[in-house]
Parts: sequence; structure tokens; C-alpha cells
Amino acid sequence: MTAALPVLILFSSLIASLVTFFLPQTAHGTRNALNLGCALLKLGMVAFMLGEVAQGTIYEMRLPLAPGLDLLLRIDALSLLFVTLSAFLWLLTTIYAIAYFGTKPELSRFFGFFSLCVAATTGLAMAGNLISFFIFYELLTLSTWPLVIHKQDRASLAAGRSYLTFSLPGSAALLVAILWLESATGPIEFALPADLRAHGDASLRMIFALFIAGLGVKAALVPLHGWLPAAMAAPAPVSALLHAVAVVKAGAFGIVRVIYDVFGIALVEELRVGIVLAALAAVTIIWGSLRALQQTEVKKRLAFSTVSQVAYIVLGAALAGPFAVIGGLVHLVHQGLMKITLFFCAGVYQECADISEIRQLDGIGARMPLTSLCFSLGALGMIGIPPMAGFVSKFYLGVGGVQSGAAWVVAVLVASSLLNSAYFLPLLYRIWFRPVPVEGGSSGPRATPPGILWPPVITAAAALAVGLFAASAFSPLAWATLIVEREYLP
Amino acid sequence: MTPLVLDGPVLPLIALIWPLVLGLAAALPAIRTHAITLLPLAPLPALLLALVAMTGAGSGAETVVGFVLLGVVLGQPPLGMLLLGMTAFLWLAAGVYAVAYMRSARRPAVFTGFWCLTLAGNLGVFLAQDIITFYVAFAAVSLAAYVLVVEAASKEALRAGRIYLTLAVLGEACLLAGFTIGAAAADTLRIEDMRAALPQAPLGGLAGWLLLAGFGLKAGLVPLHIWLPLAHPVAPTPASAVLSGAIVKAGVIGLILFLPPGTGLAGVLVTAGLFGAFAAALYGLSQANPKAILAYSTISQMGLVMALIGAALTAGSGMEQAGFYAFHHGLAKAALFLSVGVVAGAAGGRRVAALGLAALAALSVAGAPLSGGALVKAAGKPVLAGGAGATAEMLMTISGITTTLLLGWFLIRLSREATPEGKHSAGRSDWRLWAPVLALSLGAVLLPWGLWSDWSGGLGPDYPWRGTTLLAAAWPVATGLAAGLLANWRGLVMPRLPTGDLAPMLERAVLTTIRQAERADTARRSLAQKTVTSPLPRSLGNQTGQLVARLEAALGQWRWSGLAALVLILVLAGFM
Repeated sequence: MTAALPVLILFSSLIASLVTFFLPQTAHGTRNALNLGCALLKLGMVAFMLGEVAQGTIYEMRLPLAPGLDLLLRIDALSLLFVTLSAFLWLLTTIYAIAYFGTKPELSRFFGFFSLCVAATTGLAMAGNLISFFIFYELLTLSTWPLVIHKQDRASLAAGRSYLTFSLPGSAALLVAILWLESATGPIEFALPADLRAHGDASLRMIFALFIAGLGVKAALVPLHGWLPAAMAAPAPVSALLHAVAVVKAGAFGIVRVIYDVFGIALVEELRVGIVLAALAAVTIIWGSLRALQQTEVKKRLAFSTVSQVAYIVLGAALAGPFAVIGGLVHLVHQGLMKITLFFCAGVYQECADISEIRQLDGIGARMPLTSLCFSLGALGMIGIPPMAGFVSKFYLGVGGVQSGAAWVVAVLVASSLLNSAYFLPLLYRIWFRPVPVEGGSSGPRATPPGILWPPVITAAAALAVGLFAASAFSPLAWATLIVEREYLP
Repeated sequence: MTPLVLDGPVLPLIALIWPLVLGLAAALPAIRTHAITLLPLAPLPALLLALVAMTGAGSGAETVVGFVLLGVVLGQPPLGMLLLGMTAFLWLAAGVYAVAYMRSARRPAVFTGFWCLTLAGNLGVFLAQDIITFYVAFAAVSLAAYVLVVEAASKEALRAGRIYLTLAVLGEACLLAGFTIGAAAADTLRIEDMRAALPQAPLGGLAGWLLLAGFGLKAGLVPLHIWLPLAHPVAPTPASAVLSGAIVKAGVIGLILFLPPGTGLAGVLVTAGLFGAFAAALYGLSQANPKAILAYSTISQMGLVMALIGAALTAGSGMEQAGFYAFHHGLAKAALFLSVGVVAGAAGGRRVAALGLAALAALSVAGAPLSGGALVKAAGKPVLAGGAGATAEMLMTISGITTTLLLGWFLIRLSREATPEGKHSAGRSDWRLWAPVLALSLGAVLLPWGLWSDWSGGLGPDYPWRGTTLLAAAWPVATGLAAGLLANWRGLVMPRLPTGDLAPMLERAVLTTIRQAERADTARRSLAQKTVTSPLPRSLGNQTGQLVARLEAALGQWRWSGLAALVLILVLAGFM
């Protein structure tokens, strides 16, 4: 029974998606119950697996697609890190989305693709070989597009177009990379590192570069990040999911897989591609922060902040020292919790107080204290102020950088922290210390429905807890350490 | 990672958690409006801890909390306990004072919450034995104090707060970088391991400078002091007292715990410290606001503390005496700050009595014979002589003259303060305003006597009574008084100079840069809308800003992005 868990977990989202497509728009109750039920079920299964995998169990499920082409689902500690994050945040985002949309039109389409998007993310996390990874990666690309253009206004359609113009060439690059690599080695499974030496150095570098270009589009590495800020036109729950779990994380996760499970640290080091990727990540970190500083819209600023923060994960993976890898992996979770909090709150501000520009935040703290508190916690965490989650990632990345002989990483982290302060602290100042503008006729913010009020409270509390109790046995840090000890250290 | 959940005495943990609990309790609706009355309760467990530890019971034991942060380790080292006791006592006195003084606080719950958070951080820096706990505590005391600074919400308070926060964040960044390098070198998170590993570590020298900058900023090391004379005076009086008396000591303990021996940093500390001791005292004479004068006195006194730390680093012993000096300064400076509120609200005999208490604390800071201040100076001088030479020792003695002048000037300005002070002036004869000033003044004068045998570095019980000691204490104060009287008689006063000395200049430079960048941004926007604008002055800053924005706009178009992607692939593949 438990051996089928990977498939069950995948199906929990897939079935929710398929059934939702055929529900009528007015069947709100059924649709909500179905989506919530599946999300809860999935979280339950994931929780059970956490215990098992911690003991050393590995789940595997193989489905032959064509001769020599298997769909392989495999759950190890690294997959489960990502699956757990997505299962937890899927539940919260579903609650948030239900309250956010209420009875607006086209909800069956929305929730159908929403679940499909999560199914794709889950599948991608569980993919055990390159071709399975590619299938789910593509499914993710396609299922996200209807979410981005959900409003169907001009801005959304343009954002959707931009998303596809970036994603499809990226996918092509990824496919070329996979085919090129496997042309000489045969199908590559993550658990059984193949000998890539059938290729020459130059080809391997080219293949690596194609991988990075293909995955870098989703991870929003500069200069492939243009679609992400544009995608802000999407509704708040989509932005939250996009920035915290689904799309950008898929790219970052893929890069981790490619470095550790396809090429292997030794080969990456030998080819000297790791340090170039680290430099690219560093450029992205600084560039994203600089651009964030120039934004005047709340969501745009958050979007560029994502560009910067996701590159931390890539940086950690590229540096390849144990501490750096732990820092990068743990940031996968930490950034997700903090960023989803920020986007949830931005959505609440937009819905209940019509705030989209930064200057409109003046004095909102006194009027929406709970939401503003969560926003502040998320922002402080992003800056890296302890004991919020962000500082753990930064500390590990910095120590890892020094240990890998790349002490410039510390300078990048410090510059990034300062830039983060420069673009987040003025927001907090406006929220808490500026007086409410006196404008005639404005009746203050509307009451916040509990469904969009509480999810950010939970994620903010989680972002605080994972930093404050980082050393406990159940923290993301402990899990990331376990991954590194188990899989990447001899 | 420590497998233990909780090990060792729990009192240190309670001392830290208790203020946080009170701070959270302040948010409860039932408590919110009277939250200020909680303030005196917050430092009580810490005070108890310090008293227990100072009497020798349980000292040396460590508290390990394995699951919090990256494994919290709290210890009770003697020097930490001395400063912890002073800090808790000071926060207690200021808390009692605040109950009466802050009756009309704008947002009592917010003030209470951040007061307690700052307090917890301030206590934590003396207890922490691992880098992460220290860093968390330091961030708490440093950043949460912002809310105390801007409590008045006036224009000056917000400006001072902005400068305070900017520099505090810069300081945090320096510390994070320093700690990262140190932790990588030490391979453990214990402070003493990191301190031992730094001198041989790659980039250890850089880390030392970063730590010096980060802690020096907090402790008011010239020239990193510029926020201090702006921030300390604008805060409400009890907050000024904790800022100047206790919070700057977070920087001091940081320097004591982290700076590695055997580097050039010790010399820098001695030089900058002694320079600051004189420069700040003289600049303070140009100030009119009594609290600003006290802030400069703090910079001056902290300069001496840091010179002592530098000397002790060189000599390899004497940190206890630096801590002893900081202990006395904390009590006396808090008494002086709190006396400002009492004097300003009292008239007649009460006013004279309050001025008398202030004068008592001032004399002690100046080091008048047989005061606590004379004792801590007597204990410090051999350290300075041993680690930095006879000249440094002489300079410390001479600094008594400038300190006397500065605090004399403070008393003059204080006596001229108009009555009543303002909206906070309810309950002038309130014992809660008087008792803290009395306790702190007497504490500053008398407590060093009780601690002399343990903290003087073995100078012997009769040392304070010797003729040479008394004379060395007496002549600078006498000279200072004579010079002050002479200046007063001749009507000599310093010209008024801006508070915060270098700060206004730097502030103008930064603001100009920001305005230019904003103007460039506006220009770019109007260009994008194809409207004709007048040519704008170009600076390097706005050109860079425009360049970034243009590049970004190009990357938003798929053809340029595609080209960039191709180039990226080639670069990744080819360059390596």
C-alpha cells in the first residue's frame, strides 16, 4: 500500500484538477470541498512519508512509457523537501484563493489549472529521471499560463504572452540538453549517477549551459527573468504560488538536481562551471535588488525581490560546499514561507484597502494591524534579521562561501542585505510610522475576510518558527542537513 | 547541533524570556492602556541572576537550549554578570521612572513591547556564549531601540531615528560578515573559539575590522559615533537613560568578547578612543541642550572604555577593569539623564536637591576623589599604562579636566532649563521620578567601593586612600572647576555647533544623491512617455540608474532577452 504513495500523492492533485474542470461554475461548495479535501489528504500523506523517509525509506514507482523510456517517480529526502513545501502551501493558498475569489467568474477553470499546476510541481519534485522531470516541467509551463491570464484583461494577456515567449525557448533548450546528454549515455536516473565521460569537456560545458539556460528561465536568473515581474498582472493567489513554490522554485530545484544528481559535484568542479554559475547567481542577486529598489508598486517590488532571493538557492547549489548547499536548500523553504506571506499580504492590501502603490501604504499598520504585522515579519525575514528564517540561510551561505574559498560571497550577501533593507524598511516605515493620509470620503479599509486574513498569519508564524527553532529536529534546516549528509557527503 | 533539549540552570533563560512575555502581554486589550506599569517588572529575574552569580553561587554553569536558533548557549562569566547586573539595575530604575514619566505615552503598548524587546536583547548580549545567540540579542537591542528613539514622532525624532536605523543596519551587516568569516574559520559557533581562530584565519584581519566597525558603531567609537548625539537626546528621558547607560554597553561587551588579540586593532581602539575622549568632550561644550551635552559626554567616556579595551587586548589582561569602568559609567550616566526630567519639573528647594544629585553623579564621572568614578579610574590607569604606555595613562588623567568642564557646563545648562518641562510633567514630586535618580547616583558613587577588591586588578584595599591616588583624582577636577569658573567669569562660551557634528554633512550628501536619482527616474519616465523635458544635470548616480532601467527594459523584449540567453549559453560553455 505505502509503496503506491508517490502515485497517490500525485493523483491527489491530478484528480482534484480533472474533476474540477467538469464542475459547473456555480458549484462553489462542491469545488471548494473537493480542493480543500484533496489538499488536506495530500498533506496527510506527505506528513506520513516524512517520518518514513527520515528513517531511510525510499519510495519508487516505475511506469514504462515506451521502450527505454520510463516514467519514474522516486521520493528521497530532497524530493520530499520540495513536496512538503508545496503540499503545505497549496493548502493555505487554496484557502486563500477560495476567500479571495468568492463567487467571481471562471472559477472551475481557475481551480482546475491551479490543481494541475500543483500536480506538475509535485511530479517534478518526485521525478526520478531526466525525462520524467522534463514531462512535468512542461506540464507546469502549460498549466501556469491559464492562471497568469486569468483576468483576461490586456495586462494579463501580455503577461501570459511574455511568460510563454520566455518559457518555450527555455523548454526547448532543456530538451536539447537532455537529448544531447542522453544520446551518448542512455537514460539518466538521478539516483544512479551515469558516467558522462562519453562526452568531451566542451560538449559537457555546452550541455550544462543549455541546462542552466533552460532551467534559468523558470528560476528567473538574470537575464532570463523578464517574464516574472510582468506576471504580476495575475491574481494574488497565483502570484503567491508562482513566487513561493511553483514556477521559480521548479527552476531552482531543477538546477540543484542537475548539479548534484546529473553531473555530480566532482564533474561540475572539474569543468569549472560551478563558479561561473555562482557568479551568475551573484549578479542576479544584486541586479534583482537594484531593480526592486526602483519599483513604486508593492507587487513589482516583491517580484524583483524574488528574482534576487531565488538566486540564493542557485548560489548555494553552485558553491558546492556542504554549508552552502544546506543554506541553499533551506532557503528553498525559507524563501517560500516568507515570500508567500508577503504576497498574501499584498493581496489583502489590494483587496481590502485598494493599495497597489507603495506610497499608499502610509499608516496602514494602525488600520490593518494583523496583516501589517505579517508583512513586516516577512520583510524583516527577507532582510535577514534574526530570528526570522532568512538569517539562517544567509549565515549558512556565507559560511559555505568562505569554506569553498569564495569569500566574495560574503560581500554579495552583505550588499544584498543592505539593498533588502533599503527596499523593505521604507515600506515598514510607511506602514507603521507615517500618519494616515487625510483624503476626503475614504472610509478606511474594508473588513478582511478570515479566509485571506489567516493564511498569511500561519505562514508568517511558520517563517518565524523555522528560524527561531532552526536547531530542532523537525526544522527545514535539520532536513536540509539530513539531505546533505545522506546524499552529497561521502 | 546539540541533542540536549535543555540543560543547566534555567534562571538565565527566564531572565531573557520574562521581558519578552511581558512585552507580548502588553498587546492584550485588558493591559494595553496601562502597559507602562509593567516596565519595572521586566528586568527583575536578570537582576536576581546577576546578584546570585556575583555572590559566587552557580557561577560558571552553562545553560544549553538545543532546539532554539542554532543551539542557544548561555553562560555566567564574571564580567558579563557585572555588566548584566548594572544593566538590569539601570533598566529597573528607568522603568520605575517611566511609569511616572510616560503617563501620556502615545501608544503605551507599543512603547512597552519594544522597551521589553530592547531589554531582552540588552541582557542577552551579556549571557550569550555562541555567536548566533549573541547576534540575535544584538540585533534586538540595536533595532528595537529605534522605536524608543522615535517615540515622540517629532520631526527631529524621526530624523534622528532614520540616521540611527541606517547606521544600525550598516553595523548589523558588518557584524554578519565578520561572524560569517569567523564561524567558517572556527568551525564551531562558540564565541571564544571564533576569537581564537580569527588571527590565523584567511580574511581574519578583515573580519576583525568589520567587528570593530560593527561594535564601535554601537559603542560610539569616533568617527562612527554620529548617530549617538542625535538619537540619545530626542528619546523620552527614561529611554535616553537606557540608551546612553546600558545599550551602548552592548557594543562594549562585543568588543571585549570578539576582538582577537595580537592584531593592529588594539592600537586603533586606544588611539580612536583617546581622541574621542577629548574631541567629544570639547565638542559637547558647543551644545545647548543638556541631553545633547550628556550624549557627547557618553561618547567621551566610551572613548576611555575603548582605550582600556585596546590596552587590555595588547597587555593580555585588564578587561575586567574596562568592564568595571563601563559599569560605573552606566549607573552615573543614567542618573544624569534621569535627573534632567526631575530638575526640569521641580522648583525651589526640590530643584536644588535634584541639581545636587546630578552634581554628585557628575563629580563621580569626572573622578572626584573617593567617588566611585575615582575608583574605576584608579583601577583602569595601570591597565592603560601597561598596554598603551605612560602617555595614554596621563591622557586619561587629563581627560578628567575636560569631563569636569563638560559636566559643569551640563549642570549650568540644566539649571537654566525652564519649568515645567512639558506634557510629560505630571506628578513632579512623584517618588518614582526621584527614587531612580537617587538610587543610581548613590549606586555610582558607592557600589565601586564594594566591588573594589574583586575588580581593581589586585591594587589592595588601601590603594584608594593613598595620597598619590587622591591627588591624581583631585587635581584634574580642581583644574576643570577652576577653568570653568574662569571661563564663566570672563563670559567665555563655545559657539553653538550642530548636534551630531559630522551627521548633518553626511546626511546632506546622501539626500542630494537620492534626490538626483529620483530626478533621473522622473526624467526617464517622461522620456518614456515621449514628452519633451528640459535637459537635467547629470551625475554618475542618475546615469547608472538610467542604465540599469534601460537594460532592464531591453531584457523585457524577447529578442534582446533571447540574444542575452544565447550569449549566456556561449559564455557559460566557452569561458570556462
